[in-house]
Amino acid sequence: MGDNKQQKTWGTSYGEMVWKEFAKSRFTLCWLGFIILLFMLAIFAPFLANDKPFVIRIAGQLHWPIFKALTASDYGIFLAAIVAFIQFLLVLRNRRCVDPSIRAGVLWRQITISVFIVLVGIILLFIFIPRRLDATDYKSMVASGKATGAVFAPVPYGFGRTDLKVREQPPNRQHWLGTDDVGSDVLCRLIHGSRISLSVGFVAVGISSIIGIIIGAILGYSGGKTDFIGMRFVEIMMAVPVFFLIITIVAFFPRSLFNIMLIIGLTTWTDDARFVRAEFFKLRRQDFVQAAVSLGLPLRSILFRHMLPNAIAPVLVNATFGIAGAIFIEAALSFLGFGVAPPTPSWGQILSLGVSTTGRFLWWLTLFPGLAIFFTVLAYNLVGETLRDAIDPRLRESV
Amino acid sequence: MSDNGILLDIKGLCVSFFTEDGVARAVQDVSFSVKKGETFALVGESGCGKSVTALSVMRLVADPPGKIVAGEINFDDRNLLELSDQRIRAVRGNRIAMIFQEPMTSLNPVYTVGEQIVEVVRLHQKKEEAEAWDIAAEMLRKVGIPDPVQRVNEYPHQMSGGMRQRVMIAMAISCKPELLIADEPTTALDVTIQAQILDLLDQLQEQSRMSILLITHNLGIVAERAENVAVMYASRIVELSDCKSLFDNPLHPYTQGLLQSLPRLGFTGKRLYTIPGIVPEPLRFPAGCKFHPRCPIGCNDKRCQTVEPQLRRLDNGRGACQSDRQVACWFAPGYERPDDPKI
Repeated sequence: MGDNKQQKTWGTSYGEMVWKEFAKSRFTLCWLGFIILLFMLAIFAPFLANDKPFVIRIAGQLHWPIFKALTASDYGIFLAAIVAFIQFLLVLRNRRCVDPSIRAGVLWRQITISVFIVLVGIILLFIFIPRRLDATDYKSMVASGKATGAVFAPVPYGFGRTDLKVREQPPNRQHWLGTDDVGSDVLCRLIHGSRISLSVGFVAVGISSIIGIIIGAILGYSGGKTDFIGMRFVEIMMAVPVFFLIITIVAFFPRSLFNIMLIIGLTTWTDDARFVRAEFFKLRRQDFVQAAVSLGLPLRSILFRHMLPNAIAPVLVNATFGIAGAIFIEAALSFLGFGVAPPTPSWGQILSLGVSTTGRFLWWLTLFPGLAIFFTVLAYNLVGETLRDAIDPRLRESV
Repeated sequence: MSDNGILLDIKGLCVSFFTEDGVARAVQDVSFSVKKGETFALVGESGCGKSVTALSVMRLVADPPGKIVAGEINFDDRNLLELSDQRIRAVRGNRIAMIFQEPMTSLNPVYTVGEQIVEVVRLHQKKEEAEAWDIAAEMLRKVGIPDPVQRVNEYPHQMSGGMRQRVMIAMAISCKPELLIADEPTTALDVTIQAQILDLLDQLQEQSRMSILLITHNLGIVAERAENVAVMYASRIVELSDCKSLFDNPLHPYTQGLLQSLPRLGFTGKRLYTIPGIVPEPLRFPAGCKFHPRCPIGCNDKRCQTVEPQLRRLDNGRGACQSDRQVACWFAPGYERPDDPKI
């Protein structure tokens, strides 16, 4: 750094302006906090609800069962979360003390390193962490006095554990939110189910946004015949009732989480495509796009560097609604029995157990996952709503 | 490289827009040439086709609905209309650059001005990132933006209109183009800023000997800065001349009308002259000379009403000084030829 005396002032970027506008609404900030909390919950689910203790003393020796029982993918999630957090801090730092002229390059390098660390880390984790099945019942060991000094997670039950002695119990002191038909703790399953619901939302919307953006960009920029034929195709896709299509497809493919994400993503991109197309249609006539063309920039740069950032707003907003929608679809699929296979928990699956085989209505199996879905969807919708207002160019110009 | 010093040579350019209401012939049979290092002005009212002509040079006419129907645009002896998309991209921004009318919307709002200049410099000049940033700051300094090292990091919305137009110019000249097309570069600016921007263009032209194709409706600008002028009316060039003769002795009644409607220093007369009537729409051009309904001389003339005069060199035997003047009017002295239709 050559000149330290003079505090450099850099302009407010587009992102900062949007954030400033967004942060004006305290109410929505709370809901954003709620979503972040949900993510923490999902990331650290094994530490919050687990039937294995963090630490236990058996025959005078300290054991760390929870850390041994964690799978490679659990550690992978921790690693990714930590790297993502550090990357976020780095981005904040970049804005303060990296010269904008090299900021893009620096950011690019950082992201490359981060992705590299995560990928290599996950591969190493899968190589070096064996799959261990630890069927030891630590609780009975503690109860019988064989082991001492055990520190359990706040919800000391495993999501796959069945205990037929306590099946279909309403909320009580041991099981705060009750138990399901095979005696698993509902709170534990809710916590672990958040992983499924949140990742379904993110991955499905990620897939659909990318497809929608690319198709919309091409149609909107090219116009003419391409646009006409493309839009008819989009309309055909829209005319198909997505939910029934998904049910049909799911019936043919193995019931895996990945398949569900992929199918939701591949069938819900039409809205994004239409939004992006409309924006590109408008932008194509804008002077700065004409200027970019007149400066001889390649099509790739014009489409994705100059037009897309100006057209991304509706996609971003739609994504928040899309996440809510995907969570909903997954819940509905699970409710109908097309979702992830048990014992993997998901919110919709717990909900579907509300009517037991004996014909009783188990209200706690319906209410709590229902509330979880409700508040998550509400939070995403509220954030999306505020984001839309914050991005709205008409509002921005008046500032 | 051609020897005659001609950089841009447009021959018989016709551009039409195929709309639902019919074919709008926005540019018809336009021919002119721009020499190296000169300022060539294209003057006319709005809608007369001057901007479309400029866009055609860059091959920026929106297709559909627009289409370059006929003609050649020779730039440095290569026909731009025959180049592949990739080849034309290498010309755009690098050898021909363009400044647009509206500086408020001509810059991308999501990038700093530096980033936008750097992208162009890196693309065309294959410079390293750091070097490109130095060039960007240097360009901003050249166009008279104070504190350019600081300013490269600012976003367009932090700058005034005049400032942004300077940035546009900086971006346009960053690759040292041979031809700069300025499409009404000062229309959207204050009068004081207008003069500054035009002076800046003059100064840049002197430094680099680039040619400027200046598109304007302001004859005042033309008188001061252009060497040659083409006056366009309703899709055609009606008069092509060097600047001095045009102002001293306008030949086409439309040019005469334009000059009469300019306020002059010391003008204390009654009302400023206005040309009666309005510009015809491209879909409903009148038959014959397109100017005849508004023309003080030809409005009742049978021939003006039926036969459209073509742009011609004048043949009045006064020697070489007149040879560069071209006009399209039946009443211009020396225009008529023996084989012209008589009505």
